Amino acid sequence: MTSGDADAAPDPRPPSPGRVRVTAPHAGSPAASVRSSSPEAEGGPTSDIAGVYVRSLIRSQLRLGIVFALGFVVATALFVLAIALVPQLDTTFVLGVPLSWLLLGVGVYPLAITVGGLYVRAASRNEARYRALAEDR
Amino acid sequence: MNPAIGYVAIAAVAVASALIGFYGLRVSRTTSDFYVASRTVRPWWNASAIGGEYLSAASFLGIAGLILLTGSSALWFPIGYTAGYLMLLLFVAAPLRRSGAYTIPDFTEARLDSLWARRVTSTLVIVIGWFYIVPQLQGAALTVRITTGLPSWVGSLAVAVIVAVVVAAGGMRSITFVQAFQFWLKLTALAIPVVAILLLVGDVRPALPPVEAFPPSAGPGDLEVYRTVSLMVALLLGTLGLPHVLVRFYTNPDGVAARRTTVIVLVLLSVFYLFPTAFGFLGRAFAPDLAQSGDADALILLLPDRLIAGPLGDVLTALVIAGAFAAFLSTSSGLVVSLAGVISQDLLGGSVRGFRIAAVLSSFVPLVVALATEPAGLAGSVGLVFAFTASTLCPVLLLGIWWRGLTARGAIAGMLTGAVLSGVAILGGGLVTAGLPALRPFLEQPAAWTVPIAVVVTVVVSLGDRRGIPRGTDRFLTRLHVPEPTAAHPHEG
Repeated sequence: MTSGDADAAPDPRPPSPGRVRVTAPHAGSPAASVRSSSPEAEGGPTSDIAGVYVRSLIRSQLRLGIVFALGFVVATALFVLAIALVPQLDTTFVLGVPLSWLLLGVGVYPLAITVGGLYVRAASRNEARYRALAEDR
Repeated sequence: MNPAIGYVAIAAVAVASALIGFYGLRVSRTTSDFYVASRTVRPWWNASAIGGEYLSAASFLGIAGLILLTGSSALWFPIGYTAGYLMLLLFVAAPLRRSGAYTIPDFTEARLDSLWARRVTSTLVIVIGWFYIVPQLQGAALTVRITTGLPSWVGSLAVAVIVAVVVAAGGMRSITFVQAFQFWLKLTALAIPVVAILLLVGDVRPALPPVEAFPPSAGPGDLEVYRTVSLMVALLLGTLGLPHVLVRFYTNPDGVAARRTTVIVLVLLSVFYLFPTAFGFLGRAFAPDLAQSGDADALILLLPDRLIAGPLGDVLTALVIAGAFAAFLSTSSGLVVSLAGVISQDLLGGSVRGFRIAAVLSSFVPLVVALATEPAGLAGSVGLVFAFTASTLCPVLLLGIWWRGLTARGAIAGMLTGAVLSGVAILGGGLVTAGLPALRPFLEQPAAWTVPIAVVVTVVVSLGDRRGIPRGTDRFLTRLHVPEPTAAHPHEG
């Protein structure tokens, strides 16, 4: 039922940029203020390296979200297709209800919970990795 | 049905909600308490409250009614309502909590540094909230008419008054406890009757044999692809923008707690939706005549009495009536809290007094609409609100969180485009399709094309407005995505 999960949960490790000394850009702290707001103006001193880490965190979190969302959608579509393509499910009755109806009625929820649970762990891992980089000074 | 059961059940829920509301008043003192319960609510409480707030008339009555009416295509509604929280988890929950804003208009204003973006967002939030409350009041009208025999308007009026009073008196802290209580009430109110019916119904002969009750022509094999996909787009993305859902996330202590809460919500919703689904299946076998009577949405209210005779049937009926009223009250009050928050901050100076006036206002406008319009199917009407939300607030929220190039002009252009397209499709669809029936699915389920167009317009206008990128964008995005310092008490915005 959760056949798509294996595809939906790849190793989300972003390319590790190696260890560099940075200043920690705590949320909202004035130190994190990034004067150069155009993406082209990179390559400055330490505060820009902090910016690079933040952007890389945002990118890896976005990639993670998209991969998990697609994994869920594809797995659901395959599941529904499988139900539709096996006509015997319409004529196999459990407690007076066709198996195809029961499967569609309960089958997608475990998938959603599984994807959600895996995502929370992966997203926290990304944040821990970011924190390790940012606090390593 | 014995009207006394209806009166007792409805009165009990109203009194219980009011008591919990006033009890909560004692601990709610400052404006910040009032709006977001000082962010001290724990994940399980918070998740129950989110579930309590979210499970509306559409979930409690509408899904079973629609399964009875149209068959397995209705099963997509609870799937979408649940999976919407998955999308919320993946793209919105933690960053939005970290944004430090109280409401969606607060978020767009802070993100885009634009008062106009705020005004457009506020207007949309108010419109969405009002149109979401209308089906709740219509559900109340149906319930009161079916169970007590009183005229329909009594139900709508009663819910509007109770909600206005409880919200104006207690604010959000009390609402959190009311909502959490109402989730468990709603779950119990469906679960116990389903279990009782399944245990006792062995002696009752189904009105239709299984093959006729569940024909393959109404089954999962007969999928209308466009309608299903478009409904899923609406429900999955619409959840992101629902005003009463988002305000709940501000009561989490930090971003990680917001994620944990959302996963618990997924579990709670998954368990809950088993029961309306079971009711729908039972209805197809035992009460197919309700599909013809035009009262399919009353299936859950009527089925226990039909299948179980005597006092046990009465008790179960009282329980489902109480659950239904909990659904109307909790969703409406959640919406009224967030609408009142928006209205009072934008128009009335954000004081506690302004919040109270706004709460009354937010309850009575939808009441007028509900009394003036003819009720449609509950699940369908709420589905259209999701389509409108997905086309308007969702693109701005997603792009605002994940794309640094978003500008105020782009956001406003996208919101207006989405609002006009989906609004015209929903309201004017009937007129157009009279001549062109082929267009019908596209206007009745517009999200699959209105959402992409709104996103494209937002992106294109923003790209043409590179100078419009607010100066603080990088700092704001940093704040959204960087995890809080481990001692979790971030400063307020």
